[in-house]
Amino acid sequence: MNAHAGKHTADATTVEEGLAIAEEQDRQYTNEMATETAMANTLLTPRFYTTDFDELDAIDVSSVRTDWDALIAQMEADPNKGHFKKNEDWDHVDWENMEPQLKKEFIDFLISSCTAEFSGCVLYKEMKRRGNNKDITQLFQLMARDEARHAGFINDALREAGLRVNLGFLTQKKKYTYFRPKFIYYATYLSEKIGYARYITIYRHLEANPELRFHPIFKWFREWCNDEFSHGEAFALLMKTDPKLTSGRNVWWIKFFLTAVYATMYVRDHQRPAFHKALGVDPDWYAHEVFTKTSELSKQIFPITVDIDHPKWQTNLERLQKANVDLDAARKQGGVAGRMKALGAQARAARAFVSLYFIPAKGHQVPASTRMEPAY
Amino acid sequence: MGWLTKDIEHAPCTVEISHKFESLHAHVRFNNGAVIYPGDEVKVHGPEIMAPFGEIVSEDRDATIVRASKLEQLWTRLTGDFEVMELCEFSFSEEVTL
Repeated sequence: MNAHAGKHTADATTVEEGLAIAEEQDRQYTNEMATETAMANTLLTPRFYTTDFDELDAIDVSSVRTDWDALIAQMEADPNKGHFKKNEDWDHVDWENMEPQLKKEFIDFLISSCTAEFSGCVLYKEMKRRGNNKDITQLFQLMARDEARHAGFINDALREAGLRVNLGFLTQKKKYTYFRPKFIYYATYLSEKIGYARYITIYRHLEANPELRFHPIFKWFREWCNDEFSHGEAFALLMKTDPKLTSGRNVWWIKFFLTAVYATMYVRDHQRPAFHKALGVDPDWYAHEVFTKTSELSKQIFPITVDIDHPKWQTNLERLQKANVDLDAARKQGGVAGRMKALGAQARAARAFVSLYFIPAKGHQVPASTRMEPAY
Repeated sequence: MGWLTKDIEHAPCTVEISHKFESLHAHVRFNNGAVIYPGDEVKVHGPEIMAPFGEIVSEDRDATIVRASKLEQLWTRLTGDFEVMELCEFSFSEEVTL
């Protein structure tokens, strides 16, 4: 080890020093961590999409111009620019002594998050490149920047764990699918807002219980989720420009997305018990907390929220989760018996989802002004 | 573009990869203005590309675009939406057990 060891490239004051630190890090990882993790290559597998770019170009933000300009100005000023740096708060991570199941689940968290940020960047960049409407291309450029920055930050944490991302997908055959713009708005709006609620809930919980923070990345959750929050704001304003998107038949789509996003989160979180146990978080409490925050936020643009306190809500979430576990077991079992069990589990999952979907929604008045500030 | 036939095109492209702490991203840009439509397939030729940590690399490559037939394009437009939940970020992979 030389003088650069233990330093981070973000600490470098000159290019040469930065390169030397990076090289040293590479050597260090290769020597010390290769044996333990066999230098696992993490293949990122983003998906590729197209949409109706003419429809995007036709968006006219003049009805929300004041809010829009303020949001863009804030994103351009980039208040989070300096925040994604590792400083003395980035304490040592004892990967070697981490409980193996926790390590697996935590690495799954890092890889999935990195892939999601990376895919977001690919999608937003594509929208930026194909669009001709200056307001829209500017927004997507700024969001692509944030996503790439988050991906870089998580990638660094992965490198520390001895994992290298592999961008092999670039030279593999890839097929482009298609999403309607409105589905992109509903899905990404909710994804950004629920992302904010998820990160801030963990952040506040660890602020109160710092002894449970088993990795320093959680300290950066607040800055990270403020970016998610702004992106959600941008999608809310985009939807505000066209009242049809949040009225009439589309309210059924909104209900579908709310239900599907909440249910998927519930199922996925319950599949990672070691991660939540280490944080001292009960996934049922966490889910309810995140749904409450997300519902409160989504009132800014959606005319309904799902009734998460309805007696059938929790029961059917649990049924869905159980059906999903059974489905996986049946698939692994294979054979005729396995296939029969899988069919049964799929039917139970479908029934649970339909029951969740048809719980009467709560209606409310959408405020005239959409913009909000992160307050949790 | 026929209803059932696929056209094949070649397009020069530039692949840019940033493998920096500040930004991890990768993009492919077609240099002849080629535009991708639903259902099209793209393959960039040549060996795998990866920038060393801390660097940005940009390489000119050739790409093959396999154009979807009219029918396939229509099908992709109609059914692509079913996968839209992929856009949502849930922190964890869908693997039930690790």
